[in-house]
Order: sequence, then C-alpha cells, then structure tokens
Amino acid sequence: MLNKIISGGKLEKKVIENIKIHLKILCSATECFKNAITTGNKESTFCVADLEREADSIRRQIISTIHEGAFLPFIRPNICRFVEMVDEAFDILEDAAFEFRYLNNEIYKLIENECAKIAKINSEICELLSIAFDSLLTKGDLKEKNLAIRIYEKQVDDLKFDITEKLRKIDIKNFWDGKIITDFVYYLTNLSDLIEDASDYLYIIEVSLK
Amino acid sequence: MVEVAVVASLLIAFGIGSNDASNALGICIGAGIIKLKRAIFLFGILVFLGILLQGQKVMKTVGKNIVDVNMSIVIVVLAISAILIIISNWRRLPLSTHQVIIGSLIGAAVASDSAVNIVSIIKIVVSWIISPFVAMGFSFLLYKTLEKTISKFPFFQIEKLLRAFLIFSGMLISYNTGANELATVLGPLMHSGIEINKILLFSIASVMVFSGAILLSHRVIETVGKGITTLDPYSGFAAQFGAGGCVLFFTFLGMPISTTYCIIGGISGVGLTKGISTVKFGLLKKIAINFAVTPSLAFLFGYLALKLIYS
Repeated sequence: MLNKIISGGKLEKKVIENIKIHLKILCSATECFKNAITTGNKESTFCVADLEREADSIRRQIISTIHEGAFLPFIRPNICRFVEMVDEAFDILEDAAFEFRYLNNEIYKLIENECAKIAKINSEICELLSIAFDSLLTKGDLKEKNLAIRIYEKQVDDLKFDITEKLRKIDIKNFWDGKIITDFVYYLTNLSDLIEDASDYLYIIEVSLK
Repeated sequence: MVEVAVVASLLIAFGIGSNDASNALGICIGAGIIKLKRAIFLFGILVFLGILLQGQKVMKTVGKNIVDVNMSIVIVVLAISAILIIISNWRRLPLSTHQVIIGSLIGAAVASDSAVNIVSIIKIVVSWIISPFVAMGFSFLLYKTLEKTISKFPFFQIEKLLRAFLIFSGMLISYNTGANELATVLGPLMHSGIEINKILLFSIASVMVFSGAILLSHRVIETVGKGITTLDPYSGFAAQFGAGGCVLFFTFLGMPISTTYCIIGGISGVGLTKGISTVKFGLLKKIAINFAVTPSLAFLFGYLALKLIYS
C-alpha cells in the first residue's frame, strides 16, 4: 500500500544496479589493461576504449535516473559526484592505454616491472571499490575497505617514486619519447588517487545519513 | 443569514487547503517521494478522516466551551475571520486561523454580553504558548532516538526508511489539518444551534480544503519543497513528526493549536541537538509579537463588528 503511494523504489534500484555495473566495467577495464601490460600486447589495450564507451552510456543512465527523482535530494549530489569520479577513472585509464601504444620500448623496458605491479594494484583497488560500494547495501565495514584502498594507493606512490628515480637517469633524445613516457606514468599512477577519492566519497555518502 | 456563516466557513476551509497542504506534504513533494496530484488527493482524504474521527473535541472547545454562541456571533466571527484570512493570504502576512477565529469569537461575545468562559480561554492561550515548546521537545527526543537507532542500518535501507517516515509524518499533519484546523473553523457553526447534517458539512468542508489545495497550493508547496528539501532528511522528519505528534496530542485534549508554530518549534528542537546557538531567537521574537497582535486585532474587529450590528 505504502509502496503504491510512494513513487520511489524502482528508480533507486535502477541506480544501484547501474552503479554496480559501472564499477564492474571499471574492474574489467583495469583487468584488461593489466593483461595488456603484462603480456606487452599493445593492440589488446583497445578493449579499454570500448569499455570506457560502454561505461559512459551507463553513467548517463545513472545521472538521468537520479534527475528523474531517485533518492532524497539531500544525498543526490554526493551520489552524482561519486559516479563522476568513477568516470574520471575511466578517462585516465583510457589515456594510459592510449599512451602505452606509443611508448618507446627501450625506455619502457626500464620501468616495465613497476608498471606491471601498478597495473595489478589498479585492478585490485577497483575490485575493492566495488566491494566497498556493496557494503553500503549490506552494512559491511566501509572503513576497513577505505583503509585497504589507502594502503594500495600508498604502494602505488612508492612505485611511482621508483619509476621517477629510474627515468631521471635516462638521457632523453627525442621530445615525444620523453613526453609520452611521462604522460603514461602520470596516467597510470593517478588512477589510484581517483579511486581513493571515490572511496572517500562513499564514506561521505554513508555518514550523510547518520 | 445562516448562509453567510456557511459560506464564510467554507472560504476559510478553502484558505486552509491553499496554505496548509504545504505544511503537510511540501517536503515529500519537494523530495520527489510522492507526486503532487497524488499528494493532494491523499491530503483531502486525510483531512476528511481527521474531522470525522477526531474533530469533535476541538469543535466543542471552540464552539461551546469558550463563549455562549448565537447565530449573530457565528456569522460575524466567520465573516470577519474569512476576510482577515483572505487579506492576510493576499498580503502574505502570517496569520494563524485559530487565533483569528478565537480572538474574534471572544470580541463578538464581549460585545453581545454573552457569557465568556475565562478558564477555557486561559487553557487555550496556555496551549498556544506551550505547544511550540512541546513540539520542540518531541522533535529533540525523536532526533536523538533516530541517531541512536536507524543509523545502525545499511545506508540504502536508511534512505528507504526515511522516505517512508517522511510520507508518514506528512500524512499525520494532513490528518491534524482536519482534526484540529478544520475543526476550529467548523466548531462555531456546529454548536450554533442550526440544524445541519454533520457528515454533509464535513464532506463539503473537506472538498473545499481539497479544492484550495488543488487550485492554489502548488506554488506554496514548490516554495516550501524546494526551500526545505536540501535539509537533511533526519531533521526534516524529526521536525515535522515532532510537530505532528504535538498537534495530535493537543487535539486529544481538545485544544485548537497552530501547526505552523509547532513546525517552527520542531525545527528549533532539531536545531537544539546541534547547540543553542542554532535557534533563531529573532524568529521566535516575531512569533511572540504575532501571538499578541493577531488575537488582539481579531478581538477588536469582532467586538466592533458586533457593536456596529447592534447599534
């Protein structure tokens, strides 16, 4: 009876399901990127762009459903912001995949191990973000997931430091080689920052109704 | 001349519909929990149920216990109240329907040398003064209880619960609009001695409230809804439900009190949970001035109008 009077419920379910799909696609994209990096197969990075396009249409659905009236207005901006942050993660991953295809192999060989480790962490950190979102539905311990994400992010920072140390010792003769490798490292290492921000937002969403 | 009293009371009922629907369901509509038309339909039904099931006590207080009403008093009181309420709505002045009706009722009774029950008047005035503070206490306790209880649920469950809570508190305020607000308007008419079909009068008055809501309330609802929906839902619910509970409590006692003032009390109660500095004492001062000015003016108009008729 109450459900008939209240016009809510369906829209919220739709948003929650779509956010889950959005996060799953992000996990797939990071997994696909990790495989491309570990195998060194540059052609296989095109899957990232495909998944980013798919995620974009999901994001549009989420935002439009929220604007149709899903959730109380008080929490709508935070949910939208979270979705936008995940979308930024897709964009930066796509940029990393793009730069990867144009890398100078000689230079890349020097930092290949660290990059593979970062790609693996990126894949795991996205899985964690997906689990963190699920804990909003099941009353899991979000703080614990937040902390784990921060630990992963710290590991990426350490690896970034190692990469920078190695790259500084190289004599770059071609401007584009230098630019592409720096951009690639920037995109690769910045993904975890965005995921950390997104997980912080999940925490903000959770405490906003406490 | 009876028709004048009936028309005037129905005009006031129309005014209640146009103004008070926003008190009841503005938050729910603004939050998108319920559609406007559905909300107004629900509001109309609950107003009718309120007057039918629980309006008697307030009607008896207003129509019987304060003064000995006669037909000329009823006509003057309802006509003056209707005019004052219409003017105040048009000029956007905050006037309490209860205070206008009761003030003019006492003024007219004094002018016509009818018996005035001082004890009843004191009871009503005390109710007016303490009701916002009772609402403040209710809301304060409710907010604290919510913090301790439902905050332990998962986030999306809390959100779902709050939506249900908000619609429930809106329904409570709608019910009170019938049981207290409309009862205050119909009280003098019901106890004036005229032969009138109770159910028919309640139905017509409820239809008038419903018409006021459907024709004129959307603007007020939009203002209230958009203004209030950025509030956190806990505060909105605690303030509204605390006020609704307070009005219902006074309805059981047969006391005609203002929902608007109770909601202000409720909001202050929620504010108190964050510290005394959040309470807007300037607003409370304005309310105190209103408390004194509105019934006094209504008394004066009622007195002068009846003196004019008798002379």
